[in-house]
Amino acid sequence: MTVHNLYLFDRNGVCLHYSEWHRKKQAGIPKEEEYKLMYGMLFSIRSFVSKMSPLDMYAESEEMPRKDGFLAFQTSRYKLHYYETPTGIKVVMNTDLGVGPIRDVLHHIYSALYVELVVKNPLCPLGQTVQSELFRSRLDSYVRSLPFFSARAG
Amino acid sequence: MADEALFLLLHNEMVSGVYKSAEQGEVVSAAKALEENGRCITKLENMGFRVGQGLIERFTKDTARFKDELDIMKFICKDFWTTVFKKQIDNLRTNHQGIYVLQDNKFRLLTQMSAGKQYLEHASKYLAFTCGLIRGGLSNLGIKSIVTAEVSSMPACKFQVMIQKL
Repeated sequence: MTVHNLYLFDRNGVCLHYSEWHRKKQAGIPKEEEYKLMYGMLFSIRSFVSKMSPLDMYAESEEMPRKDGFLAFQTSRYKLHYYETPTGIKVVMNTDLGVGPIRDVLHHIYSALYVELVVKNPLCPLGQTVQSELFRSRLDSYVRSLPFFSARAG
Repeated sequence: MADEALFLLLHNEMVSGVYKSAEQGEVVSAAKALEENGRCITKLENMGFRVGQGLIERFTKDTARFKDELDIMKFICKDFWTTVFKKQIDNLRTNHQGIYVLQDNKFRLLTQMSAGKQYLEHASKYLAFTCGLIRGGLSNLGIKSIVTAEVSSMPACKFQVMIQKL
């Protein structure tokens, strides 16, 4: 049970933050390309999901509080979790397969970490990669404290 | 909770607004830039002064007269700071000859910025308004003073108040 890595994008596709904890295999392309690829994929999946949905998304579904549809995908080795805020900030976390839905974790990363430490920091210009050391260290300690994060890669 | 964020964001915008309007125009040399920095800090401090004057009128309309200077400083540390920043000053020191040092270990306007050394050089801009706030409050209580602030490690900061004996 572990967390592999985490991406944070803003509404224009700028990668605001990336950190990794257990990543054995790199993508083989430069980091900039990787971010673009990730963002492009998420964008396409989102529109695909809403177009092809056989059910009306805005109906009386109370167990799905958000109307945006795409939550996660999983392969035979890892699971990618996705959370998007109304302002277009996208939190993407890759974990291994043993991890269930973590919307609240991603929501906490957004509200308690991003909003508190980046939006409220006048020296962090919005729309650019986050330079704040405080954000980086708090995020790191938060992820390490999660119950499904173990130091030994699963 | 919402009004705390409002003040914080407004204050941050104010600081960057003052600095942006100052640096409009030609590229300045290092010495001029320092002068500009000083001018901006003065502007922010004066803004804080006027706000402090008004705030202290509001806060003290029901309290009793203050016994002496130390009592006034204690009021500033406890009630005034609590109403503005929702916490008290952590440490007040004095040399009983007109110099008071107010230490806040977790200054509200700096907690979001960093925890340590990053962004240290920008910290003084965000303290100028609060210095003015203290100075304005004291002036309406009848005390003329000079207030300066220093930061060695975020988010702890010290405000030094020097009372001017007339």
